[in-house]
Amino acid sequence: MDRTERLLDLVALLLDAREPISWAELREHFPADYGGISDDAAERKFERDKAELLELGLPLTYIQGDDDRKDGYIVDRSAYYLPEADLTKEELAVLYAAGSAALASGAFPGSDDLAHALRKIGFFAGDALPSPRVRMELGAAQGDPELSARLEQLWEACAAHKWVQIAYASPKRPEVIERKVDPYGLALRRGVWTLVGYCHLRQGLRTFHVHRIRELKVNTARPRTPDFEVPADFSLDAHVAYYPWQHRFHAPMEVTLLLKGDPAQRAASLFPGASVEPATEGAQGVRARLGVTYLDGLLRFCMALGPDCRVEGPEAAVTRVREMATRIHERHASTEEKVSA
Amino acid sequence: MSTVHERLRRLLFLVPYVSKHPGVTVDDLSKALNVKREDLLEELDLLTCVGRPPFNPDDYVDIYVDNDRVYVDLDQRLSRPPRLTAGEAAALAAAAELLRPAAGDALQSALQKLERILPATARERYREMYRKIDASSEAPQSLGPLTRAILERREVTFDYASPGRTSEPRRVRPYELLSHRGQWYLQGFCHTRQDARLFRLDRMESLALTDTSFQPPADARAAVPNPARTDAGVRVRFSKLVAPYVTERFGSDARPLPDGGVEVRVAGDSERWLTQWVLSFGGEAEVLEPASARAAVARAAQASLGF
Repeated sequence: MDRTERLLDLVALLLDAREPISWAELREHFPADYGGISDDAAERKFERDKAELLELGLPLTYIQGDDDRKDGYIVDRSAYYLPEADLTKEELAVLYAAGSAALASGAFPGSDDLAHALRKIGFFAGDALPSPRVRMELGAAQGDPELSARLEQLWEACAAHKWVQIAYASPKRPEVIERKVDPYGLALRRGVWTLVGYCHLRQGLRTFHVHRIRELKVNTARPRTPDFEVPADFSLDAHVAYYPWQHRFHAPMEVTLLLKGDPAQRAASLFPGASVEPATEGAQGVRARLGVTYLDGLLRFCMALGPDCRVEGPEAAVTRVREMATRIHERHASTEEKVSA
Repeated sequence: MSTVHERLRRLLFLVPYVSKHPGVTVDDLSKALNVKREDLLEELDLLTCVGRPPFNPDDYVDIYVDNDRVYVDLDQRLSRPPRLTAGEAAALAAAAELLRPAAGDALQSALQKLERILPATARERYREMYRKIDASSEAPQSLGPLTRAILERREVTFDYASPGRTSEPRRVRPYELLSHRGQWYLQGFCHTRQDARLFRLDRMESLALTDTSFQPPADARAAVPNPARTDAGVRVRFSKLVAPYVTERFGSDARPLPDGGVEVRVAGDSERWLTQWVLSFGGEAEVLEPASARAAVARAAQASLGF
């Protein structure tokens, strides 16, 4: 019998059973599947089927019999059937908007799981399911067909705690490097998916942009045995940068900016987490102080804001931003007057 | 996941779905399950073989197609789908994070209700897996009311500050929300400008829903903002240092140069945008032509130097 068919038959049998079903009875019911092979082989086959049934959400347990009941397998029916979640219209709309946008993006980890989840929560909702027009472009790279498949593999590897072997193309290096990584989790920042995990090559936590992974293999040995444990104090947020100046490229330093005009109005949203206060000593605008672990990332962002954003300190940052501006000026003024500074 | 697993999940949903929607058309059912029509018919064939031992006629799942409609004789065993698995709930919760904080209280309470209907044995695994995806995407607050306006087809008003201009009031028919490279946009028809427009959500203020309703056009997909055009008039050269990043962003629109750098042609209709963009590469980008754009970048760099 085809395995899908056998498993469905088992579901039907177990959901219907009024009393425990013994292993001997199961072998009798499925002679073509569990019969005609050694006891050991039959048991192993059933163990694999059992694992699959549990995965599907069939609460299957083995009970030891007593005077009233015999030994055998039984399903807790009340724990199998999906109950109504009593979601309000608004709650359902939120879950649907986010879930369908994630699915439509074609780049969300666990998209098979997500599609099933949406169907299930919509089961009691009737036909009036909201279909909001929210579209998200996730993954950043130019229409990469591999991205969706890689995210799916990583989601499964994260869930099962299996290591992955990746070929990684960092823009910082010309060559592709093979690495073995214990995947701890996936984070989305400004439309880019990042894998965070323990890198066996570098012997430490590293981040990888998923769209830069060229090849990916999940360890297939002993699929139900975890390869690693994620440390209890691990947090994705502590390892992934939201803004360019948060990449961990050097020791933290505090940078002070003087903002005027439009950037001053938007200081809090431009530089989240910065302390912002009105500028003193007669200057207009606001002064923002923020912690930085990638100075060039911040300075480039400041350059783009124009003269309304001035770097005040420390001295190293002021020097660096002047270097950048001088270089840009020299390159672009070459056919006109030379810069005099 | 294995194909067996996927199939089983689908089939355990299919039977309850048909029993809730008796006579559903084959096409509607394949849409609901997101499978092709011919694949669905194959699945239905398989289901007619499913039953429980001893496999007497009454022991089979009685599902059949009649006149292109699907029926199942009330099957008590499979009247409802199985509960959400830990993985399903975790993927849904992680996706919901995409709309935080905009979705506010509704999101929080939805997730609590979701967790309550998980089997006790799956709860811990759900929490563990949920922590493995962090998709909080700094969604702006205005996403909530705008989603509502799109759903209810109501016009909105807001003050909008185009770059370099003071803000002015707009009245807009909201069609679609779009997130691109982490930035949220609203696509719609602007009454003030009498034209289709793309608005950045972070430049909107005093957003309000009106009671004026509208009929959205059938196809209102917003074009993704992409400044690169092969026929555009502005040529920008990038150094070898930043070339890999630029290539990642622009794909084949980034033309490789002999020195390891790349060249991209972009539209030059907004001098302000172009200048900011070139400056944001901190000296690793250079406008080659036209001369007017080069001069604009030079002026902007000079202004930064404080001359």
